[in-house]
Amino acid sequence: MPSSQTPPAGGTALDPTAVRPDIDDARILRVVPGEVRATLERLKSEGFALLLDIGGADYPGREPRFDVVYHLIRLASGARTVADVGTPERVRVLCGVTEAEPLVPTVSDLWPAADWAEREVYDLFGIRFSGHPDLRRIQMPVEWEGHPLRKDYPLRGPAREKSPRPAFALKSNVAAGTPASGKTAAALQRQIAAARGQTPKGEPK
Amino acid sequence: MTTPLAPPSHGLDIVDTGDGRMIISMGPQHPSTHGVLQVITELEGETVVRADPEIGYLHTGIEKSAENLFWTQASTVIERMDYLSPLSNACCFIMGVERLLGITNDIPVRAQQARVMLCELHRIASHCVWLGTGGIDLGAISGFFYAFDLRERILDLTELSGGARMHPNYLRIGGLRDDLPAGFLGKVDELIAMYYPRMRELRALLQKNPILQDRMIDVGIINADDAIAWGLTGPSLRATGVPYDVRRAFPYSGYEQYEFDVVTRTEGDAYARFMVRLDEMDQSMRIIEQVRKQLEAPGPVMIADTKFAPPPKETIALSMEALIHHFKIVSESFRVPPGDVYQAIEGPRGELGYYIVSNGDNRPWRVRTRPPSMYNLQVLKKIAVGEYIADMVVMIGSLDPVFGEVDR
Repeated sequence: MPSSQTPPAGGTALDPTAVRPDIDDARILRVVPGEVRATLERLKSEGFALLLDIGGADYPGREPRFDVVYHLIRLASGARTVADVGTPERVRVLCGVTEAEPLVPTVSDLWPAADWAEREVYDLFGIRFSGHPDLRRIQMPVEWEGHPLRKDYPLRGPAREKSPRPAFALKSNVAAGTPASGKTAAALQRQIAAARGQTPKGEPK
Repeated sequence: MTTPLAPPSHGLDIVDTGDGRMIISMGPQHPSTHGVLQVITELEGETVVRADPEIGYLHTGIEKSAENLFWTQASTVIERMDYLSPLSNACCFIMGVERLLGITNDIPVRAQQARVMLCELHRIASHCVWLGTGGIDLGAISGFFYAFDLRERILDLTELSGGARMHPNYLRIGGLRDDLPAGFLGKVDELIAMYYPRMRELRALLQKNPILQDRMIDVGIINADDAIAWGLTGPSLRATGVPYDVRRAFPYSGYEQYEFDVVTRTEGDAYARFMVRLDEMDQSMRIIEQVRKQLEAPGPVMIADTKFAPPPKETIALSMEALIHHFKIVSESFRVPPGDVYQAIEGPRGELGYYIVSNGDNRPWRVRTRPPSMYNLQVLKKIAVGEYIADMVVMIGSLDPVFGEVDR
């Protein structure tokens, strides 16, 4: 059965979030950093009490370059039955952040859940949250440089210098002739044979 | 918000703050932290005044790795996030990709049923680890052996179906790698037969144990409002009385057809979380019994669309087209139309979500996990205040964090 869809030319969408908003059951809002706090405050007062997640995404070549993505769900703490909860409404707030000014107001005072989530976005994308009480790295070590989930961050670090071979005799060193210890193969064989109390091969008795 | 406690590099010393308080570090090598968690605590006598969990000791960059693997390969690393229930992670990610591809409605029914069964089996297996190790934290060693024996049998089933005990990579975009093997359902029957007697033993050992009750009741209390504000989901949220369960709220993979109760308690303490998880295991077994009846009927387990399904192995030696097709899928994977999607399932620890972005390439552009463990663990900052330091292990155990998922 042939596929019903034609694949795109590959890796071309600069802003994939703008292409197909209909495939998700969440309502999608796009805001700029200046509006994000007011929008989230309004959503919270409308009953979107559960902030599920804050994530980041990097789209180099797009302006603004980054997205901070908030996932919310409308859930009342007074719900006591499955019918009360029903199928809660989902909202996704996408906040575009420029590379020149990667700054978003914090919501950690509205939702304590945002504390670690914002620290993680800062750690992995370098987007700062103004007003966050404790904005420091959370996943990477405190002295780490760079923000690993940015697309221009390399997947692997610089090649390490080859560590010197250990000085003790390896079988491969013996076969190769001159081991790292500087002893020749013949010298090593003599040493081994002496330890075993034998006469080395090929040497006159 | 208060100022942060000492950074982790200073946390390994015991600091006398001068006003009768003391800052001590618990972890990251503490056996009762269920992984590599460091909790820097400020104590007044034995009472916790502030607790600051430090995470990141197990950060492995799985999200970055997934961005650099094919769609078909990414689920192998994603399975390693929540290593106690690997198939939940894979199931969620794969369903998100299927939504991006627009093939959600084409997944064979048998594959969906098998996914439900394996996810529920892994929920029980994961709760067995929590039950066993959580009991050990409180000194109840015997429960551990009963719980891990049950888990071993579920891992046997995982091995039988996928070939590996921990990370079978058995689920595929479009269905399953292979059909369930002959004898699988018989083994499931054996598991069902031994499950209820085993749970009776476990409940007798742990649930009514007066020492455990003393340690857990009224420890680490949180109410429903705070639980929602702190982003709790799963058993930790349901222990406060809010019956939010993704399987009921946003049914996926055919969950709407199964009968099960969303277990809730209202106390919001460690014992309520303990009881919710115990009762939830029974509900999972109820679902497994229903799916087991459905799985009698044979059927395809992989989508018919050959764009996603590699050709059967036996045709590769006979047909040039099949060989080329297999080579293309393995070496290039397939492209996913551009778009972003958030897919959530009810993992053993709560709402496990994947925010997946595709830019039309054969690799994901961004895979963001909504890690339930991380949000559940964060609440330790709130619930530990005012409790005894000795109860810290009870609270950590009752939140059931998995550090593969917290740190990713």
